[in-house]
Amino acid sequence: MPSVSLALATIIFVSGAAAGSLGALLGIGGGVFLVPLLHLALGFPLRTAAAISLTTVIATSSSVSAGRTGDQLINLKLGMVLEVATVAGSLLGGLTANLFSETTLQRLFGVVTTVAALAVLARVNRRNVVRDAAGDPGLLGGRFDEAESGGTVVYRVKRLPVGLLASFVAGNVSSLLGIGGGVLKVPALNAWCGIPMRAAAATSAFMIGVTATGGAIIYFGRGDLPPLAAAPAVLGVQLGSWMGLRLAHRLPAKWLKILLVVVLLGVAVLMLVRSAR
Amino acid sequence: MNTRRAPDTLEVLLGRVLGAGVMFSTIALAAGLVGALAVKTGRLTNALLTTGVLMLIATPVARVVVSSITYVRRRDWTFAVLTLIVLAELVASIVAAMR
Repeated sequence: MPSVSLALATIIFVSGAAAGSLGALLGIGGGVFLVPLLHLALGFPLRTAAAISLTTVIATSSSVSAGRTGDQLINLKLGMVLEVATVAGSLLGGLTANLFSETTLQRLFGVVTTVAALAVLARVNRRNVVRDAAGDPGLLGGRFDEAESGGTVVYRVKRLPVGLLASFVAGNVSSLLGIGGGVLKVPALNAWCGIPMRAAAATSAFMIGVTATGGAIIYFGRGDLPPLAAAPAVLGVQLGSWMGLRLAHRLPAKWLKILLVVVLLGVAVLMLVRSAR
Repeated sequence: MNTRRAPDTLEVLLGRVLGAGVMFSTIALAAGLVGALAVKTGRLTNALLTTGVLMLIATPVARVVVSSITYVRRRDWTFAVLTLIVLAELVASIVAAMR
């Protein structure tokens, strides 16, 4: 593992800012970009890169959710239900992380980013369906006022077991690879469980803090989480997501999705090439 | 538009817990990082950095604890049990980390 000098700390900070702004811009968190930067470009072991990334995931999730209370997008009850599955997945991932070789984890990272890219690609032209405002959201559904259409969106949760399974897998992958898991959870909640995109993203962002915590605790306990390297990453990602959130409103959603697909596929190829060496 | 409800008090409370946790941990990490790089790595900077990381990790745990307490006080047993299960899973992570 490289030792953290002023130069390296600056590079980590800038990498964090780049990953954080891209992640916020695309609504998936910066981990999926930060881990390859730390691992492939800066030479941190994948486990350490994952551990550092998890701390940035906690920071992003917490500050984004803190700033979002009151706009009804976070579905607390659904989040609390899915957290049971996602934290179980993350606990299992943390416990088994050192059973896998680095090559296996690199391959898994490549596969997960490819799957996420395809999931986004399949929905490039899809718009959210605005449901009947007088409808009953049920126990776990929700409603929020949507600025774009000027109406109230009401949704019910469909296929909860699928949502639970997706959350478990996302939690597991999150711990193993150091990503928030939003790349898997948001498309699953949106496509299969009937949650509108914005509510799915906000609820996922709320959950990933606690998902990342399960894994981060275990990495910290095992000495795989160096605070001196995590500090510039956390600070950079916070700055980056702040910038990204401000830019996100100015770019059309379709181009954001296409950019996301291209970047995810690029990350996948880099990881798979490295694993083949 | 008259459909807008008052924000859920729990949501506001959790927002405060998360915001405070991130703020204090960010301050500790920034102070520790600047100290370690500008002056030198020592016991104080290490303590600041470790405190920052631990506070960050503790923030979502605190959020789950506050949720559990709130649901118990509201006698909403379904969600009290669900959040307590999440808490138990986090405690299991801590136990696993200390072995």
